[in-house]
Amino acid sequence: MNHNVVVVGGNRTPFAKAGGPLREASNHDLLTAALDGLVARHGLAGVRLGEVAGGAVLKHSKDFNLTREAVLSSALSPLTPACDLQQACATGLETTMYIANKIALGQLDAGIAAGVDSTSDAPIAVSDGLRRILLAAQAAKTPAARLKALARIRPSHLAPQAPSVAEPRTGLSMGEHQALTGARWSVTREEQDEIAAESHRKLAAAWQEGFFDDLVTPYLGLAKDAILRPDTTVEKLSALRPVFGGPEGTMTAGNSTALSDGAAAVLLASETWAKERGLPMLARIVDAEIAAVDHPGGDDLLLGPVAATGRLLARQGLEVSDFALVEIHEAFASTVVSTLKAWADEEYCRSLGLDGAIGELDRDRLNVTGSSLAVGHPFAATGARLVPTLAKLLHEKGPGSKGLISVCAAGGQGLVAILEAV
Amino acid sequence: MGADTEATARREVRVTDASGLRTAFVRAMMPAGRAPARVPSHSLVLEHVVQDPARLAAYDRVCGFTLRDSVPPTWLHVLAFPLHVRLLGAQDSTVRLVGAVHVRNTMTLHRPVGVGEALRIEVHAEAPRPHVKGALVDLVGAISVHDETVWTGVSTYLAQGSHVAGDPVDLPRDHFEPGTPQGLWRLKGDLGKRYKAVSGDPNPIHTSRVMARAFGFPRPLIHGMWTHAHALAQLESRLPDAYTATVGFARPVLLPGTVGYRTAAHDGGWDCAVTTKDGARPHLLMRVEP
Repeated sequence: MNHNVVVVGGNRTPFAKAGGPLREASNHDLLTAALDGLVARHGLAGVRLGEVAGGAVLKHSKDFNLTREAVLSSALSPLTPACDLQQACATGLETTMYIANKIALGQLDAGIAAGVDSTSDAPIAVSDGLRRILLAAQAAKTPAARLKALARIRPSHLAPQAPSVAEPRTGLSMGEHQALTGARWSVTREEQDEIAAESHRKLAAAWQEGFFDDLVTPYLGLAKDAILRPDTTVEKLSALRPVFGGPEGTMTAGNSTALSDGAAAVLLASETWAKERGLPMLARIVDAEIAAVDHPGGDDLLLGPVAATGRLLARQGLEVSDFALVEIHEAFASTVVSTLKAWADEEYCRSLGLDGAIGELDRDRLNVTGSSLAVGHPFAATGARLVPTLAKLLHEKGPGSKGLISVCAAGGQGLVAILEAV
Repeated sequence: MGADTEATARREVRVTDASGLRTAFVRAMMPAGRAPARVPSHSLVLEHVVQDPARLAAYDRVCGFTLRDSVPPTWLHVLAFPLHVRLLGAQDSTVRLVGAVHVRNTMTLHRPVGVGEALRIEVHAEAPRPHVKGALVDLVGAISVHDETVWTGVSTYLAQGSHVAGDPVDLPRDHFEPGTPQGLWRLKGDLGKRYKAVSGDPNPIHTSRVMARAFGFPRPLIHGMWTHAHALAQLESRLPDAYTATVGFARPVLLPGTVGYRTAAHDGGWDCAVTTKDGARPHLLMRVEP
């Protein structure tokens, strides 16, 4: 990399449960709100930025240029270009790497990486059968032929198709996949509920300390993450009934992420650009690695980040103990537990082509301000939430502090990145 | 007695909520005949209007605004509009909403207004002015938050057939030059119904072909305030915190239909024109000034 890429700052909307306080906001509205907060915080109104990369997992077809349209609605100069990227739950981290790589290569001075999802505003499509009939009717040359085509419509065709979170190749939802992984790695209910309770406790403490005051801008009357339950405990969580893995399952609504609404954005720049403008430099983007598993062949769907972590650490010559802080996206509490077990498993790591176990993580360094279980998980936004959060935490620890972000994604993929405090 | 003294002496009538609006709507819809133009001298006040975020979201979707914490000034007009109806539906008004053509509108946003702010809305009518085609009536609205005026608006209606003594006054003439549109808005037939649902403007010439015909239009026409709002929505990110938007409604837009749009920056502000689709004749001319 030719240029040092720094995280200048971040901004997000508070996150909320689907159908909750942000239900009226579309992806466009949420993304614009996240961008405008970031612009206001860093004095970028009217500025032509190099590029904005954003994305959403659940996207209406009319939003083919979602990020560019949000830029046009934002206070940025309308001359700021943008693109949409999508890599399921890793989207917000992948947009970060896309912008960071362009800055590193000298193609951009500064840019914004973002992600948004609204499960309240999820696109509802017509069924495949109906679509084919309508296309046939449209192509018909005579009114009679058109009527004949339309006569094939059956009531079942009219049922709207809500977007599914099931894996196309296995038919299993993400939770069902993780239930298989949890059983394979002997993840207990207690371990999961502890992670969930800790996530809420740490997030509540961080809000209390004002940690998020310069990372979150209130939106539509919502000032804090609405999913957060500061008073939740392992006891309360242990009373919930399982939702994945059958009656004997260990995964509940409490230790799985909720369908969420929200948007996040992160401002990235070359060191030179940030210095010229007198803007903060929280952390440098060091490197990233993407990996995938063969889940149709039976691999653990959400353990993609393990191979990515092993390869990234090997390339950088780093050990787990070199990281002051680690952020592992809490898709499910079970994902975090199985990921850490996989890190420490010599045989599993070798099966991924690594030289040996990645290592054991000191849990005190993990998700220290809470993570997706408590914050919420608007799919594409999570990566762009994690980057500024970790950058700020590392900056507080002092120059040279290193941090790791690990995000699992649908399709058996995993993206990990390393940040280092400036 | 000066106008200022008159204004301070104006009797305020508090309206507690939207109740009774239906009757006022009906009366405001009744043609008034060729009476001398007379409007109520009192002002109407709605206290503590809490904005409904879901209705704002629906309004934004219909008009093309992004849903933000701060609301579009045209939304504030919509909140004041029931008082227009009520004022012109009062017993002592001979000017009716039906037959009154909204010819001009000016609104000033004095500062960003949050969707969470409770508003005091006041509307009064200025004395009718003579016009060659009838009488011009200005409905003047003011919206405040804790005694701070945040929005003011003047809606000028032409009450056709009504009359006022005196020499006719002219409306300001907006400068227009034909030009190629930068954009085309393809407006669907149901737009009037959609805007009615979010604005509460019940005028049936916007939704009913029969009623439109009764008033001499071949098809329903979209509300002028929708066209105003949609033109403003094109500028949304360029708009400063405080500004004045002035529009002249040149000719109605029929539904369904396609119109042209163009805009150009001028010393710190914007000029916008909504035109016929060939850009030859104006439907609405808007000037936005900081």
